[in-house]
Amino acid sequence: MFMVDMLTWWYSRGWGVFVSGLKTRLRDSADFFSIGQLLRTLFKPYRQISAGTSGGGMSGFLDRLVSRIVGFFVRFFIIIFGAIALFVEVLVGVIMIVLWPTAPVLIIAGVVMTVMGVKL
Amino acid sequence: MMFDYGGIRAREARLGKKLGAKPVMLLFIVLIVAFLIMGGCLIFVHNSLCWVCFSLAILFGMIVYWTKQELVPVPVGKGGGLNDVLSNDLLAAMPRNPRPADLPAVILKTNSGQFMAVRYGISGQLLDALVRDLPENVGPIFEAALKIREGTDSEELDGAVLAAAIIASHPNHEAVLRQMRLEMKDVLDGVVWFNYLNGLVRSVGKREHSGGIARDLSFGYIPTLQRFGQNISMEQGGGPKTQIHQSAHKEIVEQMISIFSGGGRQNVALVGAEGSGRSTIVKAFAEILLNADSKLPSDLQFRQIFKLDAAAMISSAPERGQIEGLVMHILGEAFAAKNIIIWLDNAQLFFEDGVGSVDISNVLLPVIEAGRLRVIMTMDQQKFLEISARNSQLANALNKIQVPPANEEETMKVLQDQVPVLEYQHKVSYTIWALKEAYRLSAKYIHDLEMPGKALSLLDTAGEYASPSRLVTAESVQEAVEKTAGVKVSGGVTSDDDKSRLLNMEELIHQRMIDQVDAVKTVSDAMRRSAAGVRNESRPIGTFLFLGPTGVGKTELAKALSEVYFNGESHIVRVDLNEFVSGNDVSRLIADATEDEMSLTAQVLKQPFSVVLLDEIEKAHPQVLTTLLQMLDEGVLRDVRGREVSFRDTIVIATSNAGAERIREYVAAGKSLADVREEFLNYLLSPEYASSAAAAGMAAFRPEFLNRFDEVCLFKPLSPEDCLKVLDLIIKGVNKTLEPQKIAVEVTDDARELLVSAGYDPQLGARPMKRIVSKTVENLVAKAVLSGAASSGATITVTREMVEAEL
Repeated sequence: MFMVDMLTWWYSRGWGVFVSGLKTRLRDSADFFSIGQLLRTLFKPYRQISAGTSGGGMSGFLDRLVSRIVGFFVRFFIIIFGAIALFVEVLVGVIMIVLWPTAPVLIIAGVVMTVMGVKL
Repeated sequence: MMFDYGGIRAREARLGKKLGAKPVMLLFIVLIVAFLIMGGCLIFVHNSLCWVCFSLAILFGMIVYWTKQELVPVPVGKGGGLNDVLSNDLLAAMPRNPRPADLPAVILKTNSGQFMAVRYGISGQLLDALVRDLPENVGPIFEAALKIREGTDSEELDGAVLAAAIIASHPNHEAVLRQMRLEMKDVLDGVVWFNYLNGLVRSVGKREHSGGIARDLSFGYIPTLQRFGQNISMEQGGGPKTQIHQSAHKEIVEQMISIFSGGGRQNVALVGAEGSGRSTIVKAFAEILLNADSKLPSDLQFRQIFKLDAAAMISSAPERGQIEGLVMHILGEAFAAKNIIIWLDNAQLFFEDGVGSVDISNVLLPVIEAGRLRVIMTMDQQKFLEISARNSQLANALNKIQVPPANEEETMKVLQDQVPVLEYQHKVSYTIWALKEAYRLSAKYIHDLEMPGKALSLLDTAGEYASPSRLVTAESVQEAVEKTAGVKVSGGVTSDDDKSRLLNMEELIHQRMIDQVDAVKTVSDAMRRSAAGVRNESRPIGTFLFLGPTGVGKTELAKALSEVYFNGESHIVRVDLNEFVSGNDVSRLIADATEDEMSLTAQVLKQPFSVVLLDEIEKAHPQVLTTLLQMLDEGVLRDVRGREVSFRDTIVIATSNAGAERIREYVAAGKSLADVREEFLNYLLSPEYASSAAAAGMAAFRPEFLNRFDEVCLFKPLSPEDCLKVLDLIIKGVNKTLEPQKIAVEVTDDARELLVSAGYDPQLGARPMKRIVSKTVENLVAKAVLSGAASSGATITVTREMVEAEL
């Protein structure tokens, strides 16, 4: 009964639970790397460094420009780093989703291969 | 309606209980790791057993995942049937064919059942006793439980719901609950309370979206602000969310979002009394701003609230010019950072010069008027009015939002919300009666805070007065009030002993008072009615007017009442109204406790359970009497500061000699005072009495004043025979005083007669008697003791001759 209950869940609700868990993890990761926020503020001055100190004119414009360029690069690299992390997470997740139905089969396959004496 | 023991949820719950245990989970994880390592090693040695190792690792991995995702806890089913909604712990503990008698034990195995047992006293024994009176069929109990679950919006049918269902199914449940000082509504509230706390527990550990590591990259550095301010937003992160239980407060938060996201003046002044929840509103607002999932305008999201520390700023920049420079610098930093909302808590500290405060309105006003920097201010109404009076421009520039205090229901919800925090801090458990008592007593005795702050503050203090079993009960709260506010609140009639004293009140009073049978009976009857609960809670326990000549026992009855009802003669607040003969004396009567600790309001504030004795009321100025009307009528009196002082736990006794001559005439004519009571009262209200009172410089009685008293008691003059009994009481008192020295005094009959004839005065009653005894008997005893004529164990006999010699 124990195995039947587990396998019933595995091939019904379990799969959905895993997919929804993956979605939650991806949302959490996106929030952790502030992807949305970084994209919205990609060209904003870095830490407002120029805002309080620079006046108007060319000097102020250049100050803000430098601050924006610094901000852009910092944000860009965090986005890239976050995107890679997300990509890895998605990749692992997709592999797991694909392998999900095969897990119980793999248990039986392992026993069969041992009985058959398959060696690596 | 039956429980299906073999149903899938029931099976999973039982399995989850076994597999979900921490040691089992740990063992499985160790096995997974071990099989993976073994499998890897076997690959290297070309052994085919490696496949079995991997298979077992996968198997245990599947079991662990299944257990964590499905079995602990088993999710609620979609059907809505009994098995679909029973909580995990109930499902796991329920026997195959449950009978009503099995349910109490099952309930006590659940967290919710224990919650109800500890906080509401719905123990296993009580439930056992209740189910004994129920039919053997468990179906109706489950049906009642399903209804309660629906009525309380509970997601699951847990132990608390089942306990409530057992109670509701009992035919006499109302009587049972009444004995426990509960109602069915309280029990249902308990179910909702548990659901709420359970939800909080489940929410802990869930990851919150708060912007991530790069959230603040677009916002400036704020080193000075970080030094002189407190980041409320960051402090709020992590733990359970700040809950707002008042609908008015929810509206305020929405109003704040609307103001700060609109184009108008970017400030909010939260004006409300201390304890009304101003800080909670700001903290809840801070959490909303920092929650990435909140639906907020982008220019408000991720803004952080900094509370400025006035004291730190003043100590760092003591000179006027320095503090203004520092404030400008901080505000400039906040503005440049672009994500800061400044919070000026107790904002008056920034608008007035004083100890710990400094007036920097000249700096703040332009900032507030320009509206470019977001500012929140919190202060009480009085301070806002003072600031408005001093600086109307500033007041006009503020978006004022009134913060109302919480009502009882809202306060109880706040208390229930905060109880887990207090329990964690004090390592105690609070009962529902403690919460109710905290509300009731704080409303009465805590005057400097508003609800819910004052109830919460009292509940916090009560944590220090828990019982040895670490339970905070109503008595703990009473003790907290008594120890901290200095008031005695556990007086009155509570125990069987108190009830017995009330039943035998006349007998007890007559042990120390002679005659006045009618007056004593009238007062005793009134007190018994009051103690039995047949009284208006919005008035004093009892209000009596004692009328009669001097020295007949009016004050003595007041003292006796204090001793019998409040367990001690010290519970008496005495005010001689002959000291309040002018209209200006009203302010002295109701003076602030800090200015005059002997004012009536100050004394009652300190000792709310007492007999208030208003002596010689006929001599008080009419304005003083008018002031006292509110006290007699509503049980409250406002002091000069407008603070309400409760007289609802006092017995008010006013005494007067008014019409004493008329009483003597009645007694001389052989009339019973009970028969002439109405006639006498009419006399007191007549123009005849009014003119004689006016001639004596006293106020006349007005009907509205006399009618305010529950009872008017007439005291008859004492006869020489009564005075003999009074003398015996006085001698008894002398003997009691001498008891530690083991010396006794006896007065011969002829000496007693002589003492009565010397001490009796028809005008002054028994009043001179004490003086005479002191002058004769006590003097004789003193001489005997000092001369060595009387030592321990001796009995001094006072004879007529000895008395004559002393007189």
